Amino acid sequence: MRRRRFLALAGATGAGGLAGCTGLFQTRPAYAPPLVKDRPDAVYYPTHVEQMEMAGVKRKAGYACALTYTYPHRFWLVTGTHTKEVAIKSADTMHVMPVVWDVVTGRVLPDVNPKLTVTQDGGSVLSDSPWPMLSQPMGFHYGDNVHLPGDGRYDVTVHVGAPAAKRTGSLADAPESVSFEFTLEYTESRLNEIPWHKLPEKKGTRGAVSHMDMEMLPASAVPTEADLPGSVLGSGRSGDADVVVTVLDDASRFGGGSSKSYLAVSPRSPYNRYLLPMMGLSATVDGETRDLTQTLDPDLGLHYGTAVGEAPGTVTVHVDAPPQFARHEGYETAFLDMSDVTVRG
Amino acid sequence: MDSDSGRGIDRRAFTKAAVAIGGTGALAACLKRLDRSSVPRGPADLATLPDRQHAWNEYLATDESGNAVPPGHRLVLLLDYPGSGAPTRDDARTVRQALGTLDSAYSWSHDGLLSVVGYSPAYFERFEAALPPQVDLPAPTALASFENPELDAPDAILYLASDHAHVVLAAEQALKGEKETLNGVSVESTLMDVFSIAERRTGFKGSGLPAANQDTAGVPDSKPVSADAPLYMGFKSGYTKTQATEDRVTIQQGPFAGGTTAHVSHMTLNLEQWYEQDDRYQRVGKMYCPYHAKNDVVDGTGDNLGSSAKMEKAKPARKAAETDALVGHGQKMFHLREDGRPLILRRDFDSTDGGHAGVHFVSFQREIGEFVKTRNGMNGTGLAAQSAVGQRNNNGILQYIDVTHRGNYLVPPRSLRALPTPEADRA
Repeated sequence: MRRRRFLALAGATGAGGLAGCTGLFQTRPAYAPPLVKDRPDAVYYPTHVEQMEMAGVKRKAGYACALTYTYPHRFWLVTGTHTKEVAIKSADTMHVMPVVWDVVTGRVLPDVNPKLTVTQDGGSVLSDSPWPMLSQPMGFHYGDNVHLPGDGRYDVTVHVGAPAAKRTGSLADAPESVSFEFTLEYTESRLNEIPWHKLPEKKGTRGAVSHMDMEMLPASAVPTEADLPGSVLGSGRSGDADVVVTVLDDASRFGGGSSKSYLAVSPRSPYNRYLLPMMGLSATVDGETRDLTQTLDPDLGLHYGTAVGEAPGTVTVHVDAPPQFARHEGYETAFLDMSDVTVRG
Repeated sequence: MDSDSGRGIDRRAFTKAAVAIGGTGALAACLKRLDRSSVPRGPADLATLPDRQHAWNEYLATDESGNAVPPGHRLVLLLDYPGSGAPTRDDARTVRQALGTLDSAYSWSHDGLLSVVGYSPAYFERFEAALPPQVDLPAPTALASFENPELDAPDAILYLASDHAHVVLAAEQALKGEKETLNGVSVESTLMDVFSIAERRTGFKGSGLPAANQDTAGVPDSKPVSADAPLYMGFKSGYTKTQATEDRVTIQQGPFAGGTTAHVSHMTLNLEQWYEQDDRYQRVGKMYCPYHAKNDVVDGTGDNLGSSAKMEKAKPARKAAETDALVGHGQKMFHLREDGRPLILRRDFDSTDGGHAGVHFVSFQREIGEFVKTRNGMNGTGLAAQSAVGQRNNNGILQYIDVTHRGNYLVPPRSLRALPTPEADRA
């Protein structure tokens, strides 16, 4: 696969006709085009875009899980404001990407960190908890580069537990745990047929590729400002994320009582409106500061909220911790240094 | 501890492999390769041994900070008793004699042999009577929604530990009736006259051993485990103050006073993510706390942290989750301490069982409920709900461990360790 990709990167076209060249590029570590040197501290076009292969979609207990994979990818882990690039290693077979969502609402579930168990003929091959992750073509998913011993048929179990975040409405009826069973027919040649292309003109410039059009996968987008429930107080930019503040006049669905209003802060990626989970947010509402609770709601989608006494006048949103999910290329320099956003009703 | 030379590591790597392989051949090979230094025998009067089976600390070596040094080689046997009825008095006598042989053959120390026998909730179901109220011994369960372990239900468990692999192997063979004498002591009774072995688990702990055993699944090919690491994850554990005292984990009242409970789990480790994807800043932050990561508090494996792991420097876990988006494993455990010490006494060790890097997490506590409470703290579920910390991500070491087995056992005092009844009337 690596040989093949190197050839493709070097300008060869077509996937066939390379037999006989094997062995020439075995030690060549060029698995992806080099990173753009001067990357903006913002969302930017990556060097290349890859599609993905779907091993299957399974539904159980109100959840759906897709098991998808593509070429090994570089990505960045985030711990606080510290980032760590995870480079592609020669032993990596694929970038495996389970996506889990709620069937009824179509909401992608960013709070159920799945565990992947891969076996072959009953023997253990791999046990891995893929990282929560965001990429431009995939949106929010769980992902990791993993090694498989070779072509073959693998049994894959994706186990998810109870939600970590607060959930409301129909999403509150979450199962305590669910296991999805897949069969993965992996061949290197099939992986190598996954289409991909470079972005020679756009790479490194501000912008983002669109969500891959996969009928079976939800887009992990939050509602547009116009579609967001409640009265939108305003929005602002922070670390290249759009932060929209809305107020609902009845907080009862969120545990705040019907006499209270509900302040919801909905951060999203620019261009694709992807949800931005795993942030630490607080808000100063008319002079009083309070923590916001990450909440998954069928209508608002993923947001950060709190009940407030009455419709607020001025709201300042503070980013106490930037989103802690891992980033694919194009997101690793954004959503890190995040300033306050102030809106006035 | 002999962490003196490369040759020492080679030798110990070999003896570890011997325990994992087991059997007569392994023992013979082991003895052939080793200097035949004699191992001290047990006392003539076995009544002089501590009544607490878990009384190991006084009989372990200590390091320069006074921390107990864990014995290098470990074996856990899961044992099934035949049928479904209560065990017979004859069988109890056989078990008492077989275990007594171990105590006579080797001194009760790291240099000889330490052992613990425990009995499961399934075992006590054989009796009509219930366990006394002072014993908290529920059946094992999954302890996080995101784990799905096998729930072990053998009748009994035998845990052996020694600095010498050949001692562990020879003891096992004697218990199986494959040796007539053990360190010069005649073997009259064997455990296999009574039990069958349901499962055999092996492992090691101590500087050099994980590095010598890193050619296994779950560890990247780069051999990232440092030569002096006592555990696969590269850091020391079991600082005096990060362990409960033996008194604290001892059952105080009732017929099993002097006993304890054991939780015995197995987890696989993802050292690929730990070593190749995370960096040292993340490893230190996730194992200890963000303060240790930011201030380079931990040298190497953490020998510089004295007897406390310096966890008093850590913010409360919730504060760290809110301000650092990271909460360390040790940090989550800190607020569970009672009089400055945890509720559980770890006697865990690393393993290559199943061909995968793993941990056999053996823990003693007065009540199983105290283990559950500790594990709930480690889960940090509330932190994940209220901060940027994820269910596993930046949430201690949960990302890297996958619990495959859990089992609970009552560890009676030594005087009751042979097929006890729930009323403890078989002394």
